Amino acid sequence: MHRVLGVTGYRVELADQLADASQMVDELAPRLVVADASIALDAAWPAFFERARGRGADACMTLLGSPGAPKLPSGWGIGAVTNLLVHAMPVLAEELTITAQKLMRGELFGAEKYLLWGTELHATTLERSRQRTDVVAELERELRGRGQSARVAQMVRLVADELISNAVHNAPVDGAGVHYRRDLPRDSDLPIDARQRVDVRWGCDSRYVAVEVNDSFGSLGRDVALAALGSQDVRDGGGGAGLGLAMAYRSCDHLVFNLAPGRRTEVIALVDVRYPPSEQPPASSYNVFVEKTP
Amino acid sequence: MTITPGPGQLVLAGSIDESSELDKLLGYAQNGALVLDLAGVTFINSLGVRDWIRMLAAAAQRNITVELRRVSEPVIHQLNMIVATRTRTHSFYAPYACDGCGREESMLVDVDAHGPQLANLVPPAMSCPECGAAMAFNDFPERYFSFLAPQGS
Repeated sequence: MHRVLGVTGYRVELADQLADASQMVDELAPRLVVADASIALDAAWPAFFERARGRGADACMTLLGSPGAPKLPSGWGIGAVTNLLVHAMPVLAEELTITAQKLMRGELFGAEKYLLWGTELHATTLERSRQRTDVVAELERELRGRGQSARVAQMVRLVADELISNAVHNAPVDGAGVHYRRDLPRDSDLPIDARQRVDVRWGCDSRYVAVEVNDSFGSLGRDVALAALGSQDVRDGGGGAGLGLAMAYRSCDHLVFNLAPGRRTEVIALVDVRYPPSEQPPASSYNVFVEKTP
Repeated sequence: MTITPGPGQLVLAGSIDESSELDKLLGYAQNGALVLDLAGVTFINSLGVRDWIRMLAAAAQRNITVELRRVSEPVIHQLNMIVATRTRTHSFYAPYACDGCGREESMLVDVDAHGPQLANLVPPAMSCPECGAAMAFNDFPERYFSFLAPQGS
């Protein structure tokens, strides 16, 4: 842990017990608190994170204590912390380094941060809502053509479909904050003007397929995103099913929300192409980054 | 999505999404049962999942049982994610990889024939269609077979 976080150049302090960590939070006012999920065995962990947040720290949960077959502690709810990294080393080192750098530097946006140097990102801007179907089908074909498995291509298609659908229909808000396209039928063909612009980029290196979807409303809140990750509730009325983010999260290996309230929402999904499903943990990592106002 | 009536079942293929109108499938039920072959379904999104759940609810109201055969991997993924989508499944495709030649293949698993084994989360043995060597199940059984859990009937 010291080696991984030490690359940021910031001072790193370690604690084995929650009581010691609480004392450190009080005395040192850290920028970032990284905790192993075994902390959830102590009933005081929610209060600890609240205390850390009160002292201005961002929090990140990892599964360091569960090498091999990482498991979330029973009773632990998806969305309970703003950053959850579930993978074992060495993937964890990559995820943790990027998480720490983004939080420390305040530079949140762009899928480039997750891909190897030289990876080309292909960009598409939607002009009508019905383009979604063609864009995601084309994405699946492109990935198959580049040698990705049917499973990976299908997962990426599903994730892209849900993220684009959210950006087209859920993101737009009017001056009063009303989501004016949320309840419109998803099979209607809506024009997308400059304000409602939805940009999609995707790229693939030898580690990940990354899909990035941007809107310029910034209407997705941190708590809404966190609550949506573990949702099983289906909206019976309205345009959307209310399951899109949960399905996107469970269909990728790492889901990243970059939120600039009132200005921009970017969601990046990463599908790991290195390991077969039998070698991947049953849960996925996520980050919810919120741009801090100066 | 395309719908092709077959002997005793409907064959669905393509994408299940906001345009699928799954409730219309109930009109094809025979003797209180609607049997769906899903081998050709390649995609189902959240709107398709909602439509699917609505179709199951409507079927229950009309005392129609919905039974699934040859369920494709993308649909199994949804059955595993969203509990409310589950219904009786007779057979499904599952990912296997060959230990000998490395071939990856979606193999058909018969639930009725392998029920006790699947209940114990043990994947049925499979042979590679290319080289004949033993194939290994290519996912976590706890994750991939979880849709079978509530299927007591």
